[in-house]
Amino acid sequence: MPYQSKKTITSMVTGLLVLAAYCIYAFGRYSSGAIAEGNLKFWAGTMLVFIGIGVVATIILQIIFHIALSIGIAVKDRACDEKEIDMRIEATVIEDEMDKLIELKSSQIGFVLAGVGFVSALILLVLGYSTVVMLNVMFLSYLVGSLMEGAASLYFYGKGVSNG
Amino acid sequence: MARKAEVTNNIRTLRFFAREMTQQELAEKTGVSRQTIIAVEAGKYSPTLELAFRIAEAFGLPITEVFGYKTKESS
Repeated sequence: MPYQSKKTITSMVTGLLVLAAYCIYAFGRYSSGAIAEGNLKFWAGTMLVFIGIGVVATIILQIIFHIALSIGIAVKDRACDEKEIDMRIEATVIEDEMDKLIELKSSQIGFVLAGVGFVSALILLVLGYSTVVMLNVMFLSYLVGSLMEGAASLYFYGKGVSNG
Repeated sequence: MARKAEVTNNIRTLRFFAREMTQQELAEKTGVSRQTIIAVEAGKYSPTLELAFRIAEAFGLPITEVFGYKTKESS
């Protein structure tokens, strides 16, 4: 499996973990009755905390992933000298024009999903749903959007991508 | 009727005649990842003009001997 696909899977796993943790924590507390429905301060605070957790978790997992990758290459090419191993690692993690095109196309898909979520949240508010529902739909659509961005990226790496 | 265009290439054949140059070697010569060379070779990705020139340069050939352009009519 190529480096970029592995990196995308690592990001998706982080995103999934954050999504699952948010749903378990926030909806668990809400369904147990510990939080009043109109308590926007709780929801906003929880979302901010989980955004922070997501950023930190992404950084930590990417560092672990790159360390594991470097060790893997060093073990595989142990017959080579240090300079050659460094060159192999550099050649593996290189980001070229195809990666940039795939990133552009998949982030477009992620933004469209986040946008659809934003509009849906506004529609729900107009239909009379509470602001908590609106906030959650908006937040979850951003999380799902980033997961779909990763899925689209994996699809393009597998199927190929065209300029145009 | 729409015209469908396809960029073709002889990279696999040229690698063979270049003493079975590996995809990794070609990737290193052209400054891209091996994954990109695999995609270009398989026709899954059409390279930019700049990369196409770099690939041709790696084989020491003009670009037209490495890449081709086919159009076909489709209804």
